[in-house]
Amino acid sequence: MTLFQEFLALVVIICSFSACTNTTIERTSEATAVPAIATSTYSEPSLASSSTVYFSYDNYNINSTGSEKIKSLASIVKENGLNVRVEGHCDERGTREYNLALGEKRANAIAELLIINGVSSSNITTVSYGEEKPESRGSNEKSWSKNRRALIKTS
Amino acid sequence: MMQSFYKIIYLLLILSSTYLSSQLRIEITGGSDEPIRVAMVPFEWKLNSAPSQYLHEIVKKDLESFAEFAVLNPEDMLSYPSLEEEISYRDWRLLKVDYLIIGSVLKSEIEGEINIAYSILDVSRRKNIHKALIKGSVKSLKRMGHNISDRIYHKINGIPGIFSTRIAYVDKPLSDADSYDLRITDIDGDGDLSLFKSNQPILSPDWSPNGKEIAYVSFEEGTSRIYIQELATGNRRALKRERGINSSPSWSPNGNYLSAVLSKGDNPDIYLYNLRSNAWTPLTGHYGIDTEPDWSPDGKSLIFTSNRSGSPQIYEINISSMRIKRKTFEGTYNARARYLPDGKNIIYVHRRKGVFHIALHNLRTGKISILTDTFLDESPSVAPNGNMIIYATKDRETDTDILAGVTINGKTRFILPSVSGGAREPAWSPILDKY
Repeated sequence: MTLFQEFLALVVIICSFSACTNTTIERTSEATAVPAIATSTYSEPSLASSSTVYFSYDNYNINSTGSEKIKSLASIVKENGLNVRVEGHCDERGTREYNLALGEKRANAIAELLIINGVSSSNITTVSYGEEKPESRGSNEKSWSKNRRALIKTS
Repeated sequence: MMQSFYKIIYLLLILSSTYLSSQLRIEITGGSDEPIRVAMVPFEWKLNSAPSQYLHEIVKKDLESFAEFAVLNPEDMLSYPSLEEEISYRDWRLLKVDYLIIGSVLKSEIEGEINIAYSILDVSRRKNIHKALIKGSVKSLKRMGHNISDRIYHKINGIPGIFSTRIAYVDKPLSDADSYDLRITDIDGDGDLSLFKSNQPILSPDWSPNGKEIAYVSFEEGTSRIYIQELATGNRRALKRERGINSSPSWSPNGNYLSAVLSKGDNPDIYLYNLRSNAWTPLTGHYGIDTEPDWSPDGKSLIFTSNRSGSPQIYEINISSMRIKRKTFEGTYNARARYLPDGKNIIYVHRRKGVFHIALHNLRTGKISILTDTFLDESPSVAPNGNMIIYATKDRETDTDILAGVTINGKTRFILPSVSGGAREPAWSPILDKY
């Protein structure tokens, strides 16, 4: 039997349900998906130092403890000609993409303060991880306060 | 007393099964409407080999998923017709059946293929309302069953069924802090598989309108970048990367553009990416945070989150006039809005008394309804028929990240528990089996 004959035979079967009106013919396709392989995997360079500055909720102002930290860090960076990577982080409250934006504001605030303290902008890179890399897991203020932070990594 | 005892048993069952399976679980919370009564006669099986699963069981499970249908058990039937002339409508009226489904599974001349012929009949009108023939592989029997469920749903409810659709989500297992996994699953929790794994964050998956590709953000290069992955092949391509944030992709309805967020202008703004020319064009340029764009179904505007007024609120931009209008005024945190398919309603994350819920907002009347009562609700995604939403939330009992859903009328809730304890960012696919 050719495909066409087979098709006709089927139409006859369906039509036998009743007087033949419209019959929909469709094909169900296999739902497959193939995983992709990462082309590059980021690995952190060996760090000279890593310090942390904490922030209050939905805010990117650096408090006095934070600015003192940045000030002393800036002079070390200048003396040793180090590169700085600033990572902005948030707590889990609020939406992920909004927190990604907020984390960048935090990282930029730190970068600006480093520049004010004499570090060349060409030695600074910033990245925001939003709420994706919490320091502490847990849905309470104790964890949240640890997660609202900027990490200043020198290498 | 007895009732609370049962409640405890029920809770224990829910908690224990969280770790055992990722099957969809339904909880009817609102006073549901009277379900539509359907009978599906076990299909006549005209093949030599025995069936691996029964179509009427697949369809029953689908249709009863969201409490809109009650499907009669075969043992309660009075007759078992497989052809229309064999139907005694009296039998079905006695059983108070509204709709009857009959059919046969037939051999195909093609090796490994089967044909399913079936009809949907309106019992009160004694009328055949739909006849169809589905062709497919023996191995895809379950998908063919979902396809029949979709068709029944559509013919009876007037809106497409979503039983063939899938959910993309990001999985971050509790046991491994440095593992991120982009996965897809059928909506009943079956066929869960990995699309992309990384030791760096993955976020914001978004389906292409034809359901063949997924755009997402990966930090695999140490900073955010948008990728597009083709499901069938696993091939992926990276969008042109700019300085700063590259995130929040949203596909245009015609599939030619992505809207996304870049912060190369020193603060996050909404941009358009032309997928043919690989060029970025800015849409907004405010000094505040603009993020989380979503394309309107007609392709003419976008909604996005902006803190230009001091707190995150939802705005709409008309792409041709570039006019921007604020849409939300209630509360101090409204973010990550998504259009419903009608373009007249949106859902978003709304903070009320310090708690994050998912809100439904009618753009014409301004009416706002809170749809969820769980904890830290985020990332809402709308089913392609507009009838339900899925979102990410925290299960406070187990302290795990789970996916939960609710029908748009708020009456039926469901959860899709995660095996690893870290499911997040669900994205509901478009209708995949077009009919």
